[in-house]
Amino acid sequence: MTVFKTYLKVLNKCKAPILMYTIFLIFFGGFNLKSSDNQMSFSASKPDILIVNEDKEEGLTKHLIEYLEKNSEVKEIEASEEKINDALFYRDVNYVIYIPKNFRQDFLEHKNPKIEVKSTGDYMASLSEMHLSRYLKIASIYNETKTEEELIKNIEETLNHSLEIEMTTKLDTTGLEKASFYYNFTNYCLLAGCIYVICLILSSFKNEKINKRTIVSSMDYKKFNRSLLFSNSLFAFVLWLFYVLLSIILVGKVMFTTNGLFLILNSFVFTFCVLTIAFLLGNLVTNKNAVNGIVNVIALGSSFLCGAFVPMEFLPTTVLNIAHVLPSYYFIKNNEVIINIEAFHLETLKPVLFNMGILLLFSIFFIIITNIISSKKRKIA
Amino acid sequence: MKNCIEVKNLTKEYKNIKAVDDLSFEVHEGEIVGLLGPNGSGKTTTINCILSLLNFGKGTIKIFGTKMSPNAYDIKKEIGVVFQDVAVFEELNVYDNIDYFCGLYIKDKTLRKKYIEDAIKLVGLEEFKKFYPKQLSGGLLRRLNIACGIAHKPKLIFLDEPTVAVDPQSRNNILEGIKTLRELGATIVYTTHYMEEVEILCDRVIILDKGKLLASGTTDELKALANIEEKVSLEVYDLEAKSIEKMKELKNVEDITYNNNILVITYKKGKNNLVELMDYLKTAHIKYNKIFSERPTLNDVFLELTGKELRDS
Repeated sequence: MTVFKTYLKVLNKCKAPILMYTIFLIFFGGFNLKSSDNQMSFSASKPDILIVNEDKEEGLTKHLIEYLEKNSEVKEIEASEEKINDALFYRDVNYVIYIPKNFRQDFLEHKNPKIEVKSTGDYMASLSEMHLSRYLKIASIYNETKTEEELIKNIEETLNHSLEIEMTTKLDTTGLEKASFYYNFTNYCLLAGCIYVICLILSSFKNEKINKRTIVSSMDYKKFNRSLLFSNSLFAFVLWLFYVLLSIILVGKVMFTTNGLFLILNSFVFTFCVLTIAFLLGNLVTNKNAVNGIVNVIALGSSFLCGAFVPMEFLPTTVLNIAHVLPSYYFIKNNEVIINIEAFHLETLKPVLFNMGILLLFSIFFIIITNIISSKKRKIA
Repeated sequence: MKNCIEVKNLTKEYKNIKAVDDLSFEVHEGEIVGLLGPNGSGKTTTINCILSLLNFGKGTIKIFGTKMSPNAYDIKKEIGVVFQDVAVFEELNVYDNIDYFCGLYIKDKTLRKKYIEDAIKLVGLEEFKKFYPKQLSGGLLRRLNIACGIAHKPKLIFLDEPTVAVDPQSRNNILEGIKTLRELGATIVYTTHYMEEVEILCDRVIILDKGKLLASGTTDELKALANIEEKVSLEVYDLEAKSIEKMKELKNVEDITYNNNILVITYKKGKNNLVELMDYLKTAHIKYNKIFSERPTLNDVFLELTGKELRDS
């Protein structure tokens, strides 16, 4: 209890940096979560067209023009070839449709009248071409009908027929995106918070002079080390729990879905890995002044390299290749995998478990290195 | 008298260099033993071996009659150590620092509280309980360092140069505290370079050099070992070299030094040295201002035993 109580007293002196990292998380994390609230929406855009009609505006011709007017912005331009070419060049119109003389009559008589067009060749022109082509194909299909009225009626019905498309995904993609963003960000806060606090506290307890006093005391040195391990683990666990609670407050109910719970589990595995990193560094670093620099290099460095601040898809391949040697990469990658899982079964969980396994392997590696270093340090003679 | 520490044939080597060479000595219960020696003489190595901070090649170390080892926690419980370097937590105040180090030995909260208060009183830090180490002067820090080492009321205390770089008031306080600890029944091993402290405090002195025991005994016994009987100092102006040479021929004169108008004559054992010197000065018409005679100090004995050449730290 003596070691644990003193640990808490020393920890109390480190509350300022922990608070700073948390404010950093709430401020930047919260700000970004809010800005990612925007829903994507689509609006149909209409191409600018010019209709040069040489036929009488009645019957089928009239219906075709009405259809084109409905789906496009019809421009009024002087029907000289020079003006039309200028309009196309300056993109005032995307598509020019020439309806020939006797189009209606020729069409009804199955003479296949040819509609000339001029196009800017861009995607808006393609859209116009699609409208015209669709109309003519439908009209050709129903051209066997007895009367023009019936033909127009059939064309009208077919054009008005629309399909309802339903998105079948059950995932709250917006919420999970937010959660993933939040947990990617905790990569920095967990690394910085744990390394800073544990290094500072260990550099006090493991200070050569103080450590000498501990060794000559009647406290079993193994018990002393166990107390320190317990205290540091408890601190890391409480910090993790705090960030999880914060995620529930900031992100909401999505954290209680299976995806959300796996994000929490992933962060727990990562926290364990961070704890082992902090222990290793705590055993290496004896100078308290160096702790700040180490936190910046490791926490900021791995956060930038592994996509905690900038999504992985925007990072260059070289950077991502380097990131492979850092535990943060597997944590962040796992977050991205978890939010896209729709059905949880062994097959979909394989990559998640694989990444968690790598994090645990990293932890074992750090534990072995720490043991080697501390046993070498113990051999003072 | 029961032995508190028994060191027999202790040998510790660092890469073929013998830091401690076949050293044997005892420390009896209730005494203060001064461990003296020039820098590199093996004092700290000996203490580190006794405390099981260092492994050693040959020899045996017993404390309270039991062989000492790194896991001898029952023995360690009765030992207090005050290292030369101040070893305290910067993040804890005076009270909490003593509480932590005392807590490594004493689990009972109530007893510990009493012990902490006693330790604070012993080193005179009552007014500084809530102060942090950064707020303390060098002397107060040393006192805190001592309190951290002895708060659990150990039976055997190692004090490694506890008065280095402290003001006279703090030094006086520390020395008084050590006397009180002895009165309370503690056995103390005291390492220092200040000979006057050893003369004031120690019942026995052990002098080490090059890892070997040169001499041990009470201060009087050590002084008796020395070849010097008397030291006469006088203030003389413009003394000629030939006069110094003449004085060297006087009976029992061992050595003469003349620096900054102070003439120091050391005598071998013999009687009436001062009278003969004064007769010579009168005959030779040498005028002097002050003259005084003293018995050799522990410092003289130490220098005679260990030599006057400078040592590396």
